[in-house]
Amino acid sequence: MRLSILLLALLLSACGNPKAPLVISELEITKPMPGMHMSAGYFVITNQTDETARITKVSSPQFEAVEVHETTVTDGISRMRELEALEIPGRSSVVLERGGKHLMLMRPRDLQDTVTLQFFSGDLPLLSVNYSFTKDER
Amino acid sequence: MNPKQFIIAIVLGTALAAGTFFALRMQVPSEPEFALVLPAPNPVAEFSLLNQHGTPIDQTVFEGQWDLLFFGFTHCPDVCPTTLQVLAAAKATLQENGQVPLPRIVLVSVDPERDTPELMRQYVDYFGEGNLGITGTLDEITKLTSGLGIYFEKHAQNDDDNGADDGDDYAVDHSAAVLVINPDGGFEALFSGPHVVDNYVHDLPLVMGGN
Repeated sequence: MRLSILLLALLLSACGNPKAPLVISELEITKPMPGMHMSAGYFVITNQTDETARITKVSSPQFEAVEVHETTVTDGISRMRELEALEIPGRSSVVLERGGKHLMLMRPRDLQDTVTLQFFSGDLPLLSVNYSFTKDER
Repeated sequence: MNPKQFIIAIVLGTALAAGTFFALRMQVPSEPEFALVLPAPNPVAEFSLLNQHGTPIDQTVFEGQWDLLFFGFTHCPDVCPTTLQVLAAAKATLQENGQVPLPRIVLVSVDPERDTPELMRQYVDYFGEGNLGITGTLDEITKLTSGLGIYFEKHAQNDDDNGADDGDDYAVDHSAAVLVINPDGGFEALFSGPHVVDNYVHDLPLVMGGN
């Protein structure tokens, strides 16, 4: 059942169907800071199915490694930890935002104007999105 | 005074009292709402570190201007640039409002192992002119931070243990507060997170005085 949903997600998202099982909106990727080799990614991901979606891997041709991290502040201490997976409950959205869950994109490879992000559950591709830096960000 | 005049007098008197009350209330000087102001400034401990140009500095670097100290590291892609952006935006708004004096933004590295002066220079310059970056040896950083009650600790990213020494793949847990240092080099106040531009714009003039 889960495999069929994942395959459906892949097919629909690949077709650009607005009713795709997983939808990403408000995507923003920061440019690496001067001298730095890492960026952050923020977005809202919405699961339009009834089942929980589980993203276990994110990759990008423009970065050597992409990880899902979470920043928390407890008792005045800021901590950043890698998450094993990003779970999106059915009919819900998860927000990746500054100071919270976010993507950490490391070691850019020939980074130009566009970043492609590919989301996987295991080895199964779920979704692929592109982000173009604005003129001011370039 | 007939009854009609009496009622008019009561209404006018009440209106006058209410108007006076609200006028006085609006004129009462505001208190900082978001910053915690220390009962007495706490002098910064002695230290020997480097600024972003590699020039040796000590605690006297905080004398002569108001400083906003944030403790972070350049390999931090999320909370550190976000906080510094908030401070830069607050400073820009204060400048537009005609605030004098304006604070200097200071990033103290809690990752001196990787944060060379050159990296610090590129990093702090990204957030505007006149910022100060501080790095140096771990021992000297600790002298500065411990005297201010600032905590930091390395944490290996791909290691469930708390052992933190895993090559270059680590983050640094650190205090999220922004400290306000007065022109005498004394720890005057602090802002706890979350850091919001409007909070700084409201409170900093009250903490720093001026116009």
